[in-house]
Amino acid sequence: MLRLEGISVRLGDFRLRDISLHVRAGAYLTLLGPTGTGKTALLETIAGVHKPLSGRIHINGRDATHLAPEKRHLGIVYQDYALFPHLTVFQNIAFGLRLKGVPERKIKGAVDEMAGFLEIRPLLKRSPGRLSGGERQRVALARALVLEPYVLLLDEPLSALDRVTRSRIQKELKRIHTQLGVTIIHITHNLAEAFFLADHLAVMKDGCILQEGAPEEVCRRPADRSVAELVGIENLITAKVKDNRLVTVMGDVDSQKIFAGRDDLPERVCLTLPGWSIEIFPAGKPQDYIWQGNLSISSVYPMNDTGMVEVTLVHNGGESLKTYLSRREAKAMSPYLKTGTTVPVGFLGKGVHWVPQEVLI
Amino acid sequence: MKNFRIVISGLSGILVLIIVIPLVRMVFSADPGVLRSTINDPEVVQSILLTLRAALWATLSCILFGVPLAYALARWRFPGTSIVQGIVDLPVMIPHTAAGIALLMVYGREFFLGKTFSLVGISFTGTEFGISLAMAFVSLPFLVNAARDGFLSVDPRLERVARTLGASPWQAFFKVSLALSWRSILSGAIMMWARGIAEFGAVIVLAYHPMIAPILIWERLENYGLKYARPVAVILILLCLLIFSALRWLSRQKKEV
Repeated sequence: MLRLEGISVRLGDFRLRDISLHVRAGAYLTLLGPTGTGKTALLETIAGVHKPLSGRIHINGRDATHLAPEKRHLGIVYQDYALFPHLTVFQNIAFGLRLKGVPERKIKGAVDEMAGFLEIRPLLKRSPGRLSGGERQRVALARALVLEPYVLLLDEPLSALDRVTRSRIQKELKRIHTQLGVTIIHITHNLAEAFFLADHLAVMKDGCILQEGAPEEVCRRPADRSVAELVGIENLITAKVKDNRLVTVMGDVDSQKIFAGRDDLPERVCLTLPGWSIEIFPAGKPQDYIWQGNLSISSVYPMNDTGMVEVTLVHNGGESLKTYLSRREAKAMSPYLKTGTTVPVGFLGKGVHWVPQEVLI
Repeated sequence: MKNFRIVISGLSGILVLIIVIPLVRMVFSADPGVLRSTINDPEVVQSILLTLRAALWATLSCILFGVPLAYALARWRFPGTSIVQGIVDLPVMIPHTAAGIALLMVYGREFFLGKTFSLVGISFTGTEFGISLAMAFVSLPFLVNAARDGFLSVDPRLERVARTLGASPWQAFFKVSLALSWRSILSGAIMMWARGIAEFGAVIVLAYHPMIAPILIWERLENYGLKYARPVAVILILLCLLIFSALRWLSRQKKEV
C-alpha cells in the first residue's frame, strides 16, 4: 500500500536520512520515537507537504513522489486535530466531499453514516470550539475517514487527551482499524500506545529508522541499545564473551540460551533484560534462568499510573536493574521489599537478548 | 488589584482625553450658521466625496496586491524576507511630503513610468489617480501588516489538512486561510482607508487639484482664516466618526454571529 525507498528530506538544520519503509494494505504501523526525532516530518513528507531530496514514495502501487498532497488520497489527523474553526462539525466532515463535487444529498448520507459510526451525530451542528478533546478527535477522524483514504496518517493523536479519554480513543482506533480495514500509520512516543495498537512497529531516532518489525519481535530482539531503550528495556548489562561464556560483573551468565548456537560472536556484548525477565524469588525451573544470585533492593516505588510496583535492585559490582511487581505480588513479598534487603533473583532466559557493544558507545 | 485598576484606567483615560478634547472643542466651537452653509457648499461636498472615493480606490487596489504580499510574508521564508518587510513599513517612517516628491519623480511626466501611463491616458499629476496613488503609498502598511498578522494567526496545518482533503493551493487559500483571516484584512482595510482620508503631505505634492478635504481645509485656513477652515474639518471628522463606527460595529456583528 505504501512504500518509501531511501527518502531523505531536509528541513532547516534537520534531516530525515535514507528512510525505507513498507506498509502493507490494512496494516497498523506505529512510528515510535522520542520528541524531535522527525516523526511528524516523515508523516508530512508522506502526505506531500515536504518534498524529498532523494528517494521515492509509492502509494497504492503508484509513484507519488512528486504528487501534490490533494492527489495522494491520504488522510491526516494532527495532535491538536486541526479542525476548521470557522466551520461546523458537519461542514468539517463534508469539506473534502464538497471539494470533490459530490452531490449534496450523498454528502449528507456519507457524513451521517460516518458520524453514526463514530458516535458524533449529536455534534454535527456544533462548532469545533465547543467540543471536548475526545469529541474533536472523533470529528478529525471522521473528516479524514469519510474520504476513504488509502492510508490514514495519525500524528500523535492521543497525546493531548486525558488518561480516560486516551484509553477510550485507543479502543476506538482499534475498532476503526478492524471494522474499516484502513491502513494506518500512527506516530507516538508512548510505548504502551504503540504496543496496544500496532501490528507493525518502526523505531525512529535522529531522522532515521533504526528498526522495524512486529512489536513483540522488536521488543524481544532490539537491534541496538537505542532501540532497546526506546522500546522500554531499561536493564542493560555489559558482558565479555570468553570461550563461549558470558562474563559480567555479576558473574558468569549461561550463554547457550542467548546465543542459540551462534559462533560469530563479538568480543563484547550488551545484554538487554526487560523488567519482566527479572524475577525476585525465582519460582520456575532452574533451567529457565540464565543467571541466579542475590541482589540488594535499593528502592521500592508504587507506580500510580499502572498499578505496578517498581523495584530497583543493585549488585555490589555496581549494576542497577529494575523489575516490576503487581500489587498482589508486592503484598506477598512485603516483608522483604524493603530498601537494603538482599533477595534471591533470577534472569529468565527467554526474555534476555544481546546486542553488540560497539554500537552502544 | 484596586490600585492596579486605578493606575491603568487613569493612564488610559489621559490618552483618550488628549485625542478627544481638541476634537470636541473644535466641534462645539463651530458656528452653527457657518456649519450649515458649509454643508451646503458644493465645493466642500465635492471635496469630501473625492477624498472618500480616492481613499476607497487606494484601499481596494491595495487589497488586490497587498493581501498576496501579506500571505507571502506570513507563510514563506525566502532570502530578504526582512528587507521586504522593512520596505513595506517604510512609508510609515518617511515624511509624507518626501513620499510625494518620490512619487512625482516616478509617476510624473519626466520619468518613463509616468510617460508610459500617460500613453494610455492615465496621468498622476493633478488627477484622482494621483490622489489615490499617494494615499495608497503612505497607508498600505496598515493593510499589509494587519493582513500578515491575520495569516500568521491561522495554523498552517489547517491548510495542510485542507490539501490532504483534496483542496488545491488556491482552494486551501480561499476556503481556509482567507476565510479565517478576513476579519484582520477588513480591519487593516478600514485603517488604510482612514489613513488615506487623512493624507495631506504626499497628495499636495502630487495632486493639489482636484482638492481633497485635508487640502481644502488647509487652503481655507491660509486664505480665509480659522473661521472658514474649522467647519470643513468638523464635517470631515463627524463623517469619518460615523462611517468608521458603523464599519467597526458591522465587523463586530459578523464576529458575534
